[in-house]
Amino acid sequence: MESILSDLEKRILAVLQKGLPLTLTPYRDMAGEIGIEPEQLLEVLRRWDADGRLRRIGAVVSHVKVGLSVGSMVVWEVEPDLVGEVGRTLASFSQVSHAYQRPTSPSWRFNFYTMVHGADSDEVDRTVRQMSKACGVKKYCQLHTKRELKKVPPTYIMGR
Amino acid sequence: MDDMDRKVLAALQHDFPLSQEPYKVIAEKVGTGVEEVFKRVRALVDTGAIRRLGASLDSRKLGYRSTLAAVRVADGDIDSASAAISAYPEVTHSYLRNSEFNIWFTLIAANEARIAEILEEIRLHLSLDSDDILNLPVEILFKLDARFNAAKTQK
Repeated sequence: MESILSDLEKRILAVLQKGLPLTLTPYRDMAGEIGIEPEQLLEVLRRWDADGRLRRIGAVVSHVKVGLSVGSMVVWEVEPDLVGEVGRTLASFSQVSHAYQRPTSPSWRFNFYTMVHGADSDEVDRTVRQMSKACGVKKYCQLHTKRELKKVPPTYIMGR
Repeated sequence: MDDMDRKVLAALQHDFPLSQEPYKVIAEKVGTGVEEVFKRVRALVDTGAIRRLGASLDSRKLGYRSTLAAVRVADGDIDSASAAISAYPEVTHSYLRNSEFNIWFTLIAANEARIAEILEEIRLHLSLDSDDILNLPVEILFKLDARFNAAKTQK
C-alpha cells in the first residue's frame, strides 16, 4: 500500500517531523516554511487529531531530568491463550509506558514486550518482579541496552 | 524546577494547543503571562528537561508501516553490522542489547514491501541465515504512553 497522503499533507508531515520551532508562533512559522497559511496547517492538524493520525503534540521530556532515568525493555513468553489477560495486567502498571504483542519465530519465543521505567535499575528490577507475580508469567527477560547505536526522531521518507 | 515550571511542563506534555497562539492558551491555563510561560519553556529546553517539542503520529494511520527488528551477529561484527543498519534513513533507533539477538532496531517505511526489502538487504549484507533476523511488527497494541516516546533506555 502506498502513502495515502495528499501533497499538502506530505509537506506538513515533512515540516512537522523536524519538531516544533521554539518560537511564540510555532504553527505560523512552520506554515511559512512550506508556504501555506497558518490556518491551513492547523486545519489539517485538527483533522489528524480527530481521526487519530496525530496522537498528540507536546514536549518530549528527558526522563533523566524528571527523575525516571532508567527504562528497560522486558520481553515475556506468554501462553497464546492468555495474552489478552496477561497483556492488560502488564499494561496496567503505571511504570510501563509501552506494551505490545509481537509475533514469535522458531528462534525467538517471546511474544509480549514492555518498556518499564524507574529511578534506577534496582527499582526497575523490583517492578519487573511485581509484574511477573501479578500476571503469573515466569519466562521473561530484560534486554539491557549496552549501547545506543542510532537515535533520530521518527522519520517519514517521502515519495517512494 | 519550581511549581510553576512543573505546571508549565505538565501543560506542555499533554496537549500542546492547536492554536495560532499556543503559549497564550497555556498561560491562561496555568495562570500567568505568556512571556513568563515562554521564558520558562526556553529555560526547560536549555537545561535539557525538555528534549524537543514535537508531534507523536500514528504511522500506521498515516499509511506508513513500522516494525521492530533484531539480528544476531558475532561480537566482532557488531560495528560493521551497526553501520550497515544505521545507514538506512528508515531506521530510526538502534540499540546494542545483552541478548542472543544483540542488535535491535526500529524501522518506519512507506509500506510492508519496503520493510521486507530492507531486512532482506541487511540479511544478505551480513551473510545471516533467516533464523538470525527477526521481524517483529506490533500485532496488538496494549499501551502507548506518548509522553515516553523518547525515553532513554537503560545503560
